[in-house]
Amino acid sequence: MLALELFVQGLIQGSVYALIAVGLTLVYGLLRILHVAHAGIFTLGGYIGVLVTNGADSLALALIAAMAGGGLLGMAIYRLIYEPILRQPPYVALIASIGLYIAIEEVFRLIFGPYGLTYSDPPLQSTIQILGMNLKWAELTMMAAAVVLIGGLALLAAKTRTGLAWRASVTRPRMAESFGVDVVRVRYLNFFVGSALAAAAGVLVALLNNLVEPTMGTVPAYKALAIIVLGGLGNVRGTLVAALSLGVIEAFGTIYLGKILDRDAIAFAFLIVVLMVRPQGLFGRA
Amino acid sequence: MSGPLLHVETVSLRFGGVQALEAVSFRLGKGELLGLIGPNGAGKTTLLRVITGLLRPSAGSVSLAGLEITALASHQRTHLGLALSQQLVRPFRAMSALDNVALAAGHRRTRRPIMAMLNRDRTAERDEARRLLALLGIEDAADARPDTLPLGVLKRVEMARALALEPAVLLLDEPLAGLNHLEAGRLADTIKDLNGQGLSIVLIEHNLGEVLRICDRLVVLDNGRKIADAAPRAVIADPAVRAAYLGAEDDDAAA
Amino acid sequence: MGAYEITLLTSVGIAVTAALGLNLITGFCGQISLGHAAFYGIGAYCAAMLTKAGVSFAPALMAGGLLAAAVGVAVGFASLRVRHDFLAITTMGVGFLFLGVVRQQDVLGGELGLSSIPDPGLGKTGFMALCLASAGLAALFTTLIKRSWMGFAFDSIADDEDTARLLGINVPVYKLIAFGIGTALAGWAGGLYAHQVRFIFPDSFGFVESIAMLTMVVVGGVGSVLGVAIAAALLTLAPQWFQVIADYKLLVYGALLLLAMRFLPQGLAGLARRLRGAAP
Repeated sequence: MLALELFVQGLIQGSVYALIAVGLTLVYGLLRILHVAHAGIFTLGGYIGVLVTNGADSLALALIAAMAGGGLLGMAIYRLIYEPILRQPPYVALIASIGLYIAIEEVFRLIFGPYGLTYSDPPLQSTIQILGMNLKWAELTMMAAAVVLIGGLALLAAKTRTGLAWRASVTRPRMAESFGVDVVRVRYLNFFVGSALAAAAGVLVALLNNLVEPTMGTVPAYKALAIIVLGGLGNVRGTLVAALSLGVIEAFGTIYLGKILDRDAIAFAFLIVVLMVRPQGLFGRA
Repeated sequence: MSGPLLHVETVSLRFGGVQALEAVSFRLGKGELLGLIGPNGAGKTTLLRVITGLLRPSAGSVSLAGLEITALASHQRTHLGLALSQQLVRPFRAMSALDNVALAAGHRRTRRPIMAMLNRDRTAERDEARRLLALLGIEDAADARPDTLPLGVLKRVEMARALALEPAVLLLDEPLAGLNHLEAGRLADTIKDLNGQGLSIVLIEHNLGEVLRICDRLVVLDNGRKIADAAPRAVIADPAVRAAYLGAEDDDAAA
Repeated sequence: MGAYEITLLTSVGIAVTAALGLNLITGFCGQISLGHAAFYGIGAYCAAMLTKAGVSFAPALMAGGLLAAAVGVAVGFASLRVRHDFLAITTMGVGFLFLGVVRQQDVLGGELGLSSIPDPGLGKTGFMALCLASAGLAALFTTLIKRSWMGFAFDSIADDEDTARLLGINVPVYKLIAFGIGTALAGWAGGLYAHQVRFIFPDSFGFVESIAMLTMVVVGGVGSVLGVAIAAALLTLAPQWFQVIADYKLLVYGALLLLAMRFLPQGLAGLARRLRGAAP
């Protein structure tokens, strides 16, 4: 029973990772940038979620507002920061992104205080029994939202003209351009959608913990980097598998390896072992 | 020493599902100038990459002066006397053309890291580099950054870098590409001269006129297989070679 | 010189030493590392454990440098397997792994760290002189390497390692040397740090610290010894100057990083080149 429960907890955490990491791997696939500030958008999503829910008493509205706000911030980051330095060596964008992340974190701390915000009347906290496990509705919502949002993204990518152009730009940028794909529009779309997913994850994590705080993005910021590398940088399907696996491995690892390594170290030990065996990630092309 | 200087023995290589090389063998004698020709995609560049260790063959072996080098790393093969001038030029972009060549000329200094750390003087290597650039007719480009140089000059920087390694066997992958008629003729003469001074050379080149003019012997590859290995005149008369080339004539007319 | 200035200069000396080590790995040899603080931490913990056990200061410092170098060479082997962004994330992982291990070891004080590390007995001014001398020697040593044939070979590896191999350069060995020397400098600096503050805990050697070191290298101008030394000094002093704006200091720091990369991507060395109006 413990095994099943750990597995489900792992999947819940894995869904959080997946929602964040998908946007990150898309940015990487398109621009070869390790976009650390993505985690700042996750934090923004959490804050918008709590503020709107508390103000307007609607979680749905909060989710929409967070996704729109996160998406717009993502586009602004691309336009104002990354676009002008695309031709520089990759660490330039990486450090710019880290600087931006620190600044975003600080803005939240300065405006809302270091201890964060909570829902005045947290929604979806009641529990339900499934297979002998007590699960919060918030946890089920988390997983459902991950499935719906990422499924929607997959549908968009597979079935629409825009999606086709998008996929082509990620996998074959030169060819896409020569076929007349508007690369800049694809990039905006990419940042909007990826950031919206991260913001949604922020709302849902806030719901799971009933807390948003300025530093809530720090762990996801680097954990998501590990995940997209495991998934084979730029590979969306690989990223999803890596996110869910890592969630599950952490859940079990914390129980069985907790004495030797803490949770974050387990994730990175796994990462290093995988990369030494497969330098291109679990699902990367050699 | 008897036997060939360079001996490629039944080398095969598969990329995914594609058979890039199939049991290719050839020998290069000391002092020989061998032309390696064939239509685009025949496997010529792949074969040179196997010889220099940039690719590992799935079967077969490569020997240099009787010593099997199939399992050695590229830098070790360079120390043993192999040098490659690549088809796609890859100059170090942050160095001047001169330093690109001087670094290669210092191969004895960089060979042992400790010695490399203790030595600073680059004068002799720069002089040697300047001499090689002059030999190839591009001494004016010495202080330029590679980004500012045209392809024809970069190809010769690439070749000067290979020469600076003082090789026993020089592998040249399309050194004449990007040169005009006059320059190509002059560089072909230089290659012939180097060979005359005792350097053994394998030359991949699409400029068949120059190949026929300067090479002692030709090896022809088609679809990863060797289809001919003889004196230039005999090769040109070979019906199999004609068939391979006629099939790919459109490609080669441009090259 | 007041006690405050002495403390600041001591910190500057330590930071410059560590940053020049990273500059050797990332700037000279082109191998990006997001885990440099782990080696700084290894040196700090090793030296502190030894002096606490009664070993005298000098051998403890050296042991810290050597242990960091040994682990650094091991991590260097990773750089033979993975490249570029994959290497960046691998080294970041090494940093977290170091923290994770240290946090769980009671011998190392766990989350609480090590306290009452002995005073090396050099006096405040003497200790400052030692740290500044370390920085000066590190600058001299790395400058000599840069101008040697080893530096020449590093240039080629940073530029295009496959071609470097074709020119007879034993790329794996050179990379391992870069990691070895660079992390030894970090370990040495870490030992100094432990005996400056005399109280260390895991979070002093975390991801943020690694990034701060990489920032010194990039803001200084990748590969430029003088630029990196100046940037390391400025970035160490900056937070102190920002004390005036206490609450906004991290915000300003983050914004400065962002703006520096956005408008000065070649760092101080690039700025200097532009001011001189000539390519090097």
